[in-house]
Amino acid sequence: MRLKKGSFLWYLYLDKIYCLLSVRNVKALAEYFHILDVHGKNTLNDVLFYHFLHHVTDLKRHRQHCIGLEQFYMLVCMLLAHENHLEGQFMYRHSRPVFDLLDLKGDLRIGAKNFGMYRFLFNIHKQELKDLFHDFDVTGDNLLNYQEFKLYTIIYIDKLQRRQKTEEKEK
Amino acid sequence: MEEKPSKVSLKSSDRHDSDKESVHSDIRDLWTTTTLSQAQLNMPLSEVCEGFDAEGRSISKTRGWYSPGSRSLDEGDKASHKPEEMDEHALVELELHRGSSMEIIPGEDTASQIEAEKSSSMSSLNIAKHTPHRAYWAEQQSRLPLPLMELMENEALEILTKALRSELPTNPQELPRQILATS
Repeated sequence: MRLKKGSFLWYLYLDKIYCLLSVRNVKALAEYFHILDVHGKNTLNDVLFYHFLHHVTDLKRHRQHCIGLEQFYMLVCMLLAHENHLEGQFMYRHSRPVFDLLDLKGDLRIGAKNFGMYRFLFNIHKQELKDLFHDFDVTGDNLLNYQEFKLYTIIYIDKLQRRQKTEEKEK
Repeated sequence: MEEKPSKVSLKSSDRHDSDKESVHSDIRDLWTTTTLSQAQLNMPLSEVCEGFDAEGRSISKTRGWYSPGSRSLDEGDKASHKPEEMDEHALVELELHRGSSMEIIPGEDTASQIEAEKSSSMSSLNIAKHTPHRAYWAEQQSRLPLPLMELMENEALEILTKALRSELPTNPQELPRQILATS
């Protein structure tokens, strides 16, 4: 799922290290949300959210859901992280919210199936997901708890930084 | 997330750069190398947004980012509140005189400056605690460009129009609940 070039969100940007929006961008985003929130409920209903996603991204299929401002902000940050290839950084810096997002059942565990449904948000390939569960499921229950997930993000970012250093040296 | 105070400063003269792109990229670097204080991190999103007017200035009495004309964010440190009517120019001068010796000049290599900055003493921690968040302040110098605000509004209206048209039945009396849902 990519942002459409020239859309308003496409012009926003995340801080490269902490993967946060600046205050100015948050203010603009909140104003954008409130314009869309025609009913004044601090929520985009399913129809509005559907049309929003289809207008600003290349998403083809979408199940209709409502979304509040907090989740909207999180979604936009994830879209921007994906757009700017900061998925790993984003997961590392915001591991708790990402874990809570993937913990669909609310049992403080992430299953492979649920993670697989949303792996596209973080640009994780199928084989990478299999390797992830193989390497980091320390408890062996085919589920990731928060500590295992956090460990994965730390190792991931460490590998990324090493790769970047190697690439810089080669240059 | 780490909570180190901002230690980056910019020359005020450079903030009025006519080259919008270089200012925009400077702000990106500034945000990249700047950290947020802990008091600013745990704020709910809606509270952050409520505390600002259309110009991005803080209007909240009890919370809000540092900005000219607003009160201090740090509720636990109210003694350090700046005067509400501090002149913007005076504020910039105050920062320049107070702040660290490190300055980031746009266009120059900042890596060594950033490294030295990170290893500066605790005195700068205290100073930074009482000065406006520099990255925010720098950002406020160059507002979101008007065409982008117009783009934002037009895009939102387009989405609303599409949503409305997709749901309008041939018989207007049968308007769907999704569009007309009211509290």
